[in-house]
Amino acid sequence: MRKGLILFALLAILASCTTQKPLYTWGNYEITSYNYLKNTDEKSIQELIENYQQVIENQKGTRGIVPPGVCADYGFILLQEGKKEEGKEMLMKEIALYPESKIFIERILKMIEE
Amino acid sequence: MKKLLFFTTIVLVVFSSCTTTSKIPKSTAYKGIYDEKPLSILLMPPINRSTNVEAKEYFHSTLNIPLANAGYYVIPPFLSMEILKRESAYDAELFLNSPLTKFREVFGADLAVFTIIHKWDKSGIAAKVYVKVEYVIKSTKTNEIVYTRTGDIKYDASVSTNAGGLAGLVADVALSAINTAATKYVDVARACNAYTFKDIPAGKYSSTYGTDGAEMSGKKEYEATLNKDYR
Repeated sequence: MRKGLILFALLAILASCTTQKPLYTWGNYEITSYNYLKNTDEKSIQELIENYQQVIENQKGTRGIVPPGVCADYGFILLQEGKKEEGKEMLMKEIALYPESKIFIERILKMIEE
Repeated sequence: MKKLLFFTTIVLVVFSSCTTTSKIPKSTAYKGIYDEKPLSILLMPPINRSTNVEAKEYFHSTLNIPLANAGYYVIPPFLSMEILKRESAYDAELFLNSPLTKFREVFGADLAVFTIIHKWDKSGIAAKVYVKVEYVIKSTKTNEIVYTRTGDIKYDASVSTNAGGLAGLVADVALSAINTAATKYVDVARACNAYTFKDIPAGKYSSTYGTDGAEMSGKKEYEATLNKDYR
């Protein structure tokens, strides 16, 4: 009985070492970002876009919300691809999800209209 | 009695295997963060003082996730990079020791993260990468350093095939060589960032926000051996 209790305590301690479920899931964000930074060619842009879409539509983090910056950066890529309306929509979505982004994102929206 | 002592020893061993922490609680080590309660973080382009020209991009693409997952609002990295470039502010070295008020006004940033890559050496045959990287987080309000850690990291990219004998050894070397292809280095930077920011105070979106001050901070200067399995 006592042994069982001690074993349980040990397991609980061990479990506390392992990483918990993250706030957000990111798909292949790191490698697709790197390839975009490095190459900025058609293929890397396409893969980055696909990863953003996956992160937005298939979010499995504990918050269940799109991670910070993802909508805005996705919007920025769309703008660069000439998709102005879709890009703007994504920038607005960033402000809706994260009001603290307003100062910066509104500045960008203003720049687009100039 | 003996039994109790034995179990206590085991418990202590298990505990110590978890982390290598200092004896300073986070609320003391990172007092500025607990006082100011920052929310938004601006990633400054990494400063590369190593001989490897590509180290900058490896770090730039991997800083976002650990900080966002710690509960902070990370200002969109590509969008902020574009603006920094347009404003001729892409060289973070220029701002390491100067006022950051402008970044507060333009980006709404509470904190700015500087990454200084001091060393990035690879040894091809053994598939090891030696990295020395310094992280400096400054408040845009006070211009004070609120968080800093420097890691001396050995990253082991070798893969074991578990096949014995000479054939196994040859296979091991070949596999490791493939494993050190350029994109794998992204994982080196990822592991460095993940290890370092393990002790950053939880941000507003974290479930432990405001309650983790009693936890121990990590060592300011540390050595670590990491691999791709480190999360």
